[in-house]
Amino acid sequence: MTTMNNRERTVFTRRDILKLAGLGAGGLLLRPTSVPASGEVDTGNAAAMLYDATRCVGCRACEVACKEWNKLPPDAEPPTDLTAHNFTLIKQHQESPAGSFRKYQCMHCVHPACVSACPVQALEKHDNGPVVYDAEKCIGCRYCMVACPFQVPRIDWSKALPVIAKCTFCADRIADDRIPACAEACPVQALTFGTREQILEEARDRIARHPGRYLAHIYGETEAGGTSWMYLSAIPFEKLGLPELDSEPVPELSEDVAIYGTPSMLVSVAALLGGIYWVTARRAQHTPPCDDSGKEV
Amino acid sequence: MSMITKIREQNIPTPFWILALLVLFGLVLGIARLFLGLGATTNLNNGYPWGLWITFDVFSVPFSAGAFTLAAVLHIFNRKRYHGIAHLALLAGFLGYLLVVLVLLMDLGRWDHFYSVLLPWRWNLHSFMFEVSMSIAIYFGVLVLELVGVVFKGRDWMPVQLINQLIPLIAGVGVLLSCVHQSSLGALFLVLSHKLHPLWWTPILPVLFFASALFSGLSVAMFLTIVTRRALGLRAPMQLLIGLANVVAVIQAIYMVLKIGDLLVAGETALVFGSGWLSILFLAEMIFGLIVPLIIFTSRAGRSESGLLIGVIYTLLGLAINRSSIAWFALRAPAGATYCPHWIEFGIVLAAFSFGILFFALGVRYVPTLRQAALEEKH
Repeated sequence: MTTMNNRERTVFTRRDILKLAGLGAGGLLLRPTSVPASGEVDTGNAAAMLYDATRCVGCRACEVACKEWNKLPPDAEPPTDLTAHNFTLIKQHQESPAGSFRKYQCMHCVHPACVSACPVQALEKHDNGPVVYDAEKCIGCRYCMVACPFQVPRIDWSKALPVIAKCTFCADRIADDRIPACAEACPVQALTFGTREQILEEARDRIARHPGRYLAHIYGETEAGGTSWMYLSAIPFEKLGLPELDSEPVPELSEDVAIYGTPSMLVSVAALLGGIYWVTARRAQHTPPCDDSGKEV
Repeated sequence: MSMITKIREQNIPTPFWILALLVLFGLVLGIARLFLGLGATTNLNNGYPWGLWITFDVFSVPFSAGAFTLAAVLHIFNRKRYHGIAHLALLAGFLGYLLVVLVLLMDLGRWDHFYSVLLPWRWNLHSFMFEVSMSIAIYFGVLVLELVGVVFKGRDWMPVQLINQLIPLIAGVGVLLSCVHQSSLGALFLVLSHKLHPLWWTPILPVLFFASALFSGLSVAMFLTIVTRRALGLRAPMQLLIGLANVVAVIQAIYMVLKIGDLLVAGETALVFGSGWLSILFLAEMIFGLIVPLIIFTSRAGRSESGLLIGVIYTLLGLAINRSSIAWFALRAPAGATYCPHWIEFGIVLAAFSFGILFFALGVRYVPTLRQAALEEKH
């Protein structure tokens, strides 16, 4: 835990230096007005889901419902990982004495790295929660797969012209005022669908009512700047394969550098080149044309 | 016409034919890749969505940086004596970027949607993938103009004369675009703070990529000058090369201070020796890619042609270690994931290198203005 804090602190110091350098170089002049700063967006009313690992019995009804709704082909063998044809998956983690299930699917981050990474806006974060993909725009660069801190997006390797595949949060159903297929299918209410505000309240309530049953932490409340899917568990989240992430949105630094760094660099390098050219051209004018002018660099 | 008869008259040595065969073979593999898909022709997988081809691109972009650094020396700093070296670097840069574009096309799952990047309403200005690809696309156009200006120099053609009149402006735009995409290539990995090993991940990645592109590009220009002159049985223009070596050494020293300083500020120095085989990669870049060339360039060894040649070869080895670490080896994959490139992946990269060597040699041999550039350096 202490090492984590150290790391956070040093990252911020280094970032501050970088930001200052960027601003000093003229980024302030070019500051765009529409920078979507994370945290400013009202996510409280967006769709969210709570997965309660202590309730899940591992029946895989959610997997079946997901396949049905998304018309995904059946598998020859039961999958062991998310694939292009399995948007969700229940795995049993037996590291702890009791053992626990965990549901895998896209976390629908509040500030998704995949959306930030995609060069052509093939991935989009909808205001009402889901992170959705448009195959028509996609060039298949797979930067989204590399950027995702939860290793979620998949590509259909078997296809000559593949598409990216991941959980859609049943965006089509949500638009229709229906709850996602997996939540509807769950027989033990391990999945609770609601607004992010409602879900957080419900999760806090469960922790307060059953302090012995849950760890006092809602995974996804702050991780990676917050996610739409959140987890309650009895055993440590890293044992469920959920990565330890701080509260900074994963793409924040990258976006800051894109918004401030690139224009700063353009302006300062252009000015520098122009200046040097002006000086050397003048010097060349004042010396005989055949001279090699000046000394070594 | 005269060029064709010249080729017929001269005896083309065997290595040319071997390279040509490898290129042809790669072409067949490339077409197969486009129609069979990534799964059938690569060993990429969910744990390793990126592999050898991305690594090739991330290496080739700074390798080709000689074109812009020497364009700056020639047209912005107005050091006209460097025009021979600059023309060789320009040819290498053009070929290098052409290969980056071709290999990138191999790597695009939806190559049939490549036009997507060209549609302004789809641009994602937050994405460094967008920034890098757009900047490289425009810069490639700049390289074509610069090369046309050099290859057809002295011809009485209006477009060529126009290019050569506007060359400071064209070169300036090229330098600007290069500064942007060389650093953006490093910024591509900023979003991977959770995957890239902390020995390599740092907020100053763009600065490190830019600095290493500068000294690598200059090193490639030096390397090609020495090798081309040797092939022609001539001595290298030592005075000019030593001038470049001094610049390389200064930037390498700055780069090394930045790299070490960054680890000190982050409090991550313990990782230098405590990261298993990744430590070896990190130290190999430090020692072979920076310390050895710095010693050579700042000592008597750096006054000799062979010394400089060895110095730049080590520098480029360091670049290869650095870029392959960042794009491949030091990117953490999920537990259990493995990746060893498919022979087709190797085949295409081998064809790409062959293509570069083949057309560089052909260019210097058969294009009169480029041959002139290789021949006329003073000692």
